[in-house]
Amino acid sequence: MNFKEILELIDKVSERGIAELEIEQAGTKLRIQGKPSQPQVIHSYVGELPRDTTLSLPAPASGATLAAKTEEEEESDSGLHIITAPIVGTFYRAPNPESEPFVTIGDHVNKGKVLCIVEAMKLMNEIESDIDGEIVKIYPQNGQPVEYGEKLFAVRT
Amino acid sequence: MISKVLIANRGEIALRVILACKEMGLKTVAVHSEADRDALHVRYADEDVCIGPAPSRQSYLNISSIIAAAEITGADAIHPGYGFLAENPHFAEIAGECQLTFIGPSPEAMRLMGDKAKAREMAKNAGIPILPGSEGLVKTHAEALDISRAIGFPVILKAAAGGGGRGMRICGSDADLAGAFDTARSEAERAFGSADVYVEKYLERPRHIEIQIFGDTQGRIVSLGERECTIQRRHQKLIEESPSPAVSQDLRKQMGEAAIRLCEAVRYVNAGTIEFLFQDGEFYFMEMNTRIQVEHPVTEEVTGIDLVKEQIRVASGLPLSVPHGDFRLRGHAMEFRINAEDPVTFAPHAGRIREFHVPGGPGVRVDTAVYRDYVISPHYDSLIAKLVVRGKNREETIVRSRRALDLFIIEGVKTSIPLDRAILDDQRFIRGDISTRFMEEFEW
Repeated sequence: MNFKEILELIDKVSERGIAELEIEQAGTKLRIQGKPSQPQVIHSYVGELPRDTTLSLPAPASGATLAAKTEEEEESDSGLHIITAPIVGTFYRAPNPESEPFVTIGDHVNKGKVLCIVEAMKLMNEIESDIDGEIVKIYPQNGQPVEYGEKLFAVRT
Repeated sequence: MISKVLIANRGEIALRVILACKEMGLKTVAVHSEADRDALHVRYADEDVCIGPAPSRQSYLNISSIIAAAEITGADAIHPGYGFLAENPHFAEIAGECQLTFIGPSPEAMRLMGDKAKAREMAKNAGIPILPGSEGLVKTHAEALDISRAIGFPVILKAAAGGGGRGMRICGSDADLAGAFDTARSEAERAFGSADVYVEKYLERPRHIEIQIFGDTQGRIVSLGERECTIQRRHQKLIEESPSPAVSQDLRKQMGEAAIRLCEAVRYVNAGTIEFLFQDGEFYFMEMNTRIQVEHPVTEEVTGIDLVKEQIRVASGLPLSVPHGDFRLRGHAMEFRINAEDPVTFAPHAGRIREFHVPGGPGVRVDTAVYRDYVISPHYDSLIAKLVVRGKNREETIVRSRRALDLFIIEGVKTSIPLDRAILDDQRFIRGDISTRFMEEFEW
């Protein structure tokens, strides 16, 4: 690893708001600590609110993990409309195993078009698109369990 | 047999169930709302599923999401904890229909005992003393007035579906009753979806003493002694202890037998609590709670029985592991509820915990699911920890509790610790001379 590469890494770390990066390569160990990033910003925002507030606040710590977890995806999802699972269940791309999937990548969909099924308690819940656009990403595999709020589709509008 | 348990709850009780499962070698599934992603029960469970947004109605009370979470993770049993869906017979029924073992009583027993007017009737039929009052529900103000005059004021109006102090009105005279009857009905309607109320004689200075019972599928029902829960504010318990300073071994036996009779009448299985009011040497049935209770550790400490593990055993169809024969409580235990609230006004206090240090040493147990930097959400209950202290007798327990509370440090939010601590210096509390009016009369 040469000096230029290290500089590039430092740039990437600060750019992406990564808290800490550790790399070990051919006997060289490198650790870059980033600046306090997004999570801390959220924290201080909470701190400024009146103490006795009974507003519904998202737990800042939760925001922190969320931010960390989806950092990479966020980058490629920017500008895309994300459709998330409204319920917990099993994700199916087609009405039954023999049928064609409701949608595939590249399809143009209109608002109200059924995109998939999330099965919960033997009930087949059809999930509709809430927007017009092109399907550019399908996150879960067919038959995969999904939790509430999990990303299902990315739509380019 | 049970191999993977989904815990349909949050906070310290969810963690408590996970600990029991770990000791039994069972896998665990945590469910959580979006606000609880960083909760300890999520971290410590083997698997976790987000079941909805922060408001309980859309997450911890969302039956279909919870059942779906059990299905996608392959859980074969559900522990409901306390609160949320714990006493919802419909939830227990659906779990059963989905081939999930509900770790608790049958939906039928829950339904019978959940209706307070019906439970009162059952207690009466089982020969258990009840407070004088109406036979079942009272429909009109005139009817309530007749009964109240017959049994003598003061009386209390209670919602049949009630709990937690809502839908209750104390009436000292004809005039009070005239004003309170409609309010109690509409409050009950709003809070529980049923306006049904009944009338009972109101005791001026009672103690609240409850009996822990446990039944198994073989039909054995045991009593595990009492808990004194007299120290309450706004009908919510603050300090619990066992044994009660007011209960002799003889009285314990009588109350235990009464509780068992009632449970036999509904063929009760799993953990349950029979609450009694106690005044002037007499006890009266008040209600039954068909779940594990917040204050269960007090009983665990003086019986040596892990009640949550016992719940899972019994739900698997195994017999109770409680030894047969004469039963005695050993030592003394107290539980102090640590709520995130103003100790004077009792207003809940959400926010970030900046410092958190729990006491230790002999006889000290802390059940909690919070930690430093944890953010207390305004969406849920304000209970953040339970300090449980055990000693060889009541005196030692009080002294030990004082030093434990003194070393319990929570910064960033207001808590009930200063109040718990102050009560331990109160002469009436030290003497054990208390009634449910204690907090009204308590001075700092």
